[in-house]
Amino acid sequence: MIHVRHLSHSFGPYWALKDCTFSLEKGDFVFLSGPSGAGKTTLLRLLHGSLSIQRGEVRMADIDVKRLTRQQIPSLRRQVGVVFQDFKILPLRTVQQNIALPLDIRGLAPQHIERRVRAVARALGLDGRLSVRCGELSGGEQQRVAIARAFVVNPQVLLADEPTGNLDPELSLRLVELFKQFQAYGATVLFATHSIDLMRRHPGAHIMRLEQGMITNANWPGAHIFRRPDAMPVRPGASNADDVRADEAEHDRRDGRDRS
Amino acid sequence: MKRILLRLFLQGIRDFGINPWAQASTLAAVTLVCFLSGLFLMALVTLNQQLGMVRGEISFQVYWHRGTDISQIREQWQGYAHIPGFLGVKTFTPEEALEELGKRLGRTSGSLEKEFPFLAEKSPLPATALISFAPNNRNLERWISETTLFLESQPGVSRVVATPLQDELGRAWRKVSKYVMWPSISFLTLTLGLLVGNTIRLSQMARSHETEILQLVGAFNWYIRTPLIINGATLSLSGGLLALGLLFLVHMQVHDVLNFPPLLMEIQFLPWQLMLALLLAPTCMGIAASWLAVRGQ
Ligand SMILES: Nc1ncnc2c1ncn2[C@@H]1O[C@H](COP(=O)(O)OP(=O)(O)O)[C@@H](O)[C@H]1O
Ligand SMILES: [Mg+2]
Repeated sequence: MIHVRHLSHSFGPYWALKDCTFSLEKGDFVFLSGPSGAGKTTLLRLLHGSLSIQRGEVRMADIDVKRLTRQQIPSLRRQVGVVFQDFKILPLRTVQQNIALPLDIRGLAPQHIERRVRAVARALGLDGRLSVRCGELSGGEQQRVAIARAFVVNPQVLLADEPTGNLDPELSLRLVELFKQFQAYGATVLFATHSIDLMRRHPGAHIMRLEQGMITNANWPGAHIFRRPDAMPVRPGASNADDVRADEAEHDRRDGRDRS
Repeated sequence: MKRILLRLFLQGIRDFGINPWAQASTLAAVTLVCFLSGLFLMALVTLNQQLGMVRGEISFQVYWHRGTDISQIREQWQGYAHIPGFLGVKTFTPEEALEELGKRLGRTSGSLEKEFPFLAEKSPLPATALISFAPNNRNLERWISETTLFLESQPGVSRVVATPLQDELGRAWRKVSKYVMWPSISFLTLTLGLLVGNTIRLSQMARSHETEILQLVGAFNWYIRTPLIINGATLSLSGGLLALGLLFLVHMQVHDVLNFPPLLMEIQFLPWQLMLALLLAPTCMGIAASWLAVRGQ
């Protein structure tokens, strides 16, 4: 579903992403972890075409992203639901209007849009807030609007960039369950987060760790781990999920929870 | 699809609210230019109609020597019909010419002779004829001089005056419109295009955040641009409509100002083709300008 090969990206002289290779199949759920500045957002932006690919290859749902012209990028984005780290919602529009946006641009019937928006809003606990302007919502509520907008089109691929960053732990857990429901229906989910707790609560999940633009750890064979000479020793048998999570916990302590 | 287009259309109308001042001043400029063009067209239509009555007609006023045998002159009058392009001839025997003169002076028929009995015996006026032609000759100048020579060579003819006055008037008018009016209208239209394009770009900038989000959720470019182009088109169309309304008001006020003798010109309002052009031209210009403005993004 998502195939990334030797993907690198630089901003000026600075490499934000270095030679990343991994594959996610249909129905995979992967936590993308790593400290702030590791390149998580850069990777997700490359996947849905909001950064152009400089080096390497990306295939999303059988679309060669590198080959897409500007006119074809919308077709890719319509198959991908994205939750942006900075929400990207319209503060002057209501919750209803914001969630309905991806359906509006497809020209669906108003009754259908209404029904769909209501259902998604209920799942995210926003049903009482539909007619409120998004600018008047709390950060957590805005984040849920951003998630609802990604869910509303029932996408084949869900890319979520720290979608629980502004939510309390309990709500975060419930949200991950929602993402997992999409996964159960066959969606591929790439979920960037820095919350160890969240990953610890989902023992079966794939985890891919990104550091300084490189995949430094992963617990399933779909990802190629980049080994630098000076990299910290990777524990023997690191493909074990528990080990990665232990690894994460250690990094978490080291980074002092200062992650955004 | 119909639903999307309707929504985008309404969005385009709503966009008037984004930069009301820029939109209003652009609207005023479009109206002004359309109004001026409309005035020009109105003048053109009215004059063309006047000129059209005589367009392409060339008349020769022919005078004969006094005392030339009138039967000889009549023979010549009959012969004119054989000249190609002949339209008609108005002839005056010396007596008729006198009577005509009397009429012009406001006398009843025959009263002039009563006042001046010597006139009754022999009119002091020469016989004249006003011959009209519609020459289909390319080289008009040459045709005129040749015809003049021919008419002068006829026996008894003393003087021939070609009066292509109307034609010259028409040519002058065409020159003015060719070298002054159309260039200035084109220039104004170009300026207008820049103005409309600029206003649309302002709208676009005001909506850039929304545009970014629309793009991120997979909106096609046409979805984003259509409201802006509709904004530009309606802006220009409204300008055209306003100008047409103003023109109509002005026409109501002035349509009779030239309607007195000897001008007797009633100023014509624009025919529907030109009204349509006055609406379509700015609309097309608005669409083109907006399209260019949003395309470069
Ligand atoms: N548009 C940009 N211009 C320049 N540098 C950027 C840009 N976006 C990201 N970066 C840099 O790339 C690196 C990775 O950023 P990012 O992908 O946002 O990390 P993360 O999402 O993991 O916190 C950071 O060092 C950041 O400063
Ligand atoms: Mg980020």
